[in-house]
Amino acid sequence: MKVRTEGSSNYEYVTARVRSRKKKLFDEDDYRKLVRMGQGEIARFMEETEYGTEMNALGTRHSGVDLVEYALNRNLAKHFDDLLTWAEGPLYDYVANYLRKFDAWNVKTVIRGVYTDAAPEDIETDLIRTGEFSERRLDRAAEAGSIEDVTEQLSPTIFGDPLDAAMGDFESEDVLVPLENAVDRAYYAHLLDELGRTVPNSPEALYGEFLEAEIDFRNLRNALRIARSGADIDPADYYIEGGQLFDREELREVATNVDELVERVRASTYGAELSRALEELEAADSLIRFERALEAALLEYSSKLSNRYPLSVCPVISYILAKEREVRNVRAIARGREAGLPVEEIEEELVMT
Amino acid sequence: MLETTDIAAVALQESGGSAVSKEGAAALAVGLGALGTGYAQSRIGAAAVGAVAEDDEMFVTGLIFTALPETLIIIAFVTIFLV
Repeated sequence: MKVRTEGSSNYEYVTARVRSRKKKLFDEDDYRKLVRMGQGEIARFMEETEYGTEMNALGTRHSGVDLVEYALNRNLAKHFDDLLTWAEGPLYDYVANYLRKFDAWNVKTVIRGVYTDAAPEDIETDLIRTGEFSERRLDRAAEAGSIEDVTEQLSPTIFGDPLDAAMGDFESEDVLVPLENAVDRAYYAHLLDELGRTVPNSPEALYGEFLEAEIDFRNLRNALRIARSGADIDPADYYIEGGQLFDREELREVATNVDELVERVRASTYGAELSRALEELEAADSLIRFERALEAALLEYSSKLSNRYPLSVCPVISYILAKEREVRNVRAIARGREAGLPVEEIEEELVMT
Repeated sequence: MLETTDIAAVALQESGGSAVSKEGAAALAVGLGALGTGYAQSRIGAAAVGAVAEDDEMFVTGLIFTALPETLIIIAFVTIFLV
């Protein structure tokens, strides 16, 4: 899947727009207000913001928290499609590759939906329609009757072969983890492919560094989850290639021993960025808080990169991450209020920088 | 700028015989200055348009920054009066 677009990139234009949009995302005050609102108030608040168009467009078909969630997803897709219309040249390739994340997300949504026997219409409303897949492929995957059908539908895509390989594990254990990891792995493998060899200290190299960090964090999270769940799964099976923090064997060793893992991360290049996350893990012994802190660290890291290299793909990636974060935060608030969670508990779920 | 005129002088020697006249060199200087200005303005202009598209209030700021490299060509223009 090598698409080299000719010509130069229009970094100036895209980063100017992206920075302006990033500035307009919800800030801490907005979240503080949102967390204390009732469901109706959240919907009204959303109508007055960026999400107004989507809220009104979907208002006839959905209501309550579902409306908020679908409006969020649709708005997200709209903004990321905008990015693709603006970008030219190599910048377009980088952005398009990174947005395959949503193909991965959609594949996972479809798999989960089919696994739980959800109706195709329900699955379709949960899809985020941005990324590389055509509408038709998505619809057909959502209509599939079984997981086997889904993998068959996806066989021409980059997810085809990894999914096939993971089917055995899925069938023997009847858990979705192998399939979901296969999807993630396929996504990251192709992301790094595209980058190829880079000149040190160039914008491309920094982008590579950022992707490595993302992969490392994901490996770390997977290792911790497996260690915590106590399931008899070999963490090395779920290792995503391309990171620099662990290799496959090392991951297997440290996954059984959380203390060793923490020490290991502290001594690594991420030590400074992750110190807050590690403290959370040690003090509260809470995996959720550690994961949130990990995400916050990634966000900060991406902002740092975008300041260091203003005319590169980094500000765009940083915006994508921040926007995604906002969508997840608002959803967490809406869902949390619906379930009647106390304010403190919802705040714990939020990632703010 | 001196090097450029030297190169130009060498290049033009074959046909003209003598080096570029003073006026010619000044004209070259202004032309090259204009090229530099154009390059700078194209990139700043792209960013300014992007910012204005997102936020109308950026119009004046964008305009000022886009016009800043104009100083380059205005100063280059002075060479005309020095020869």
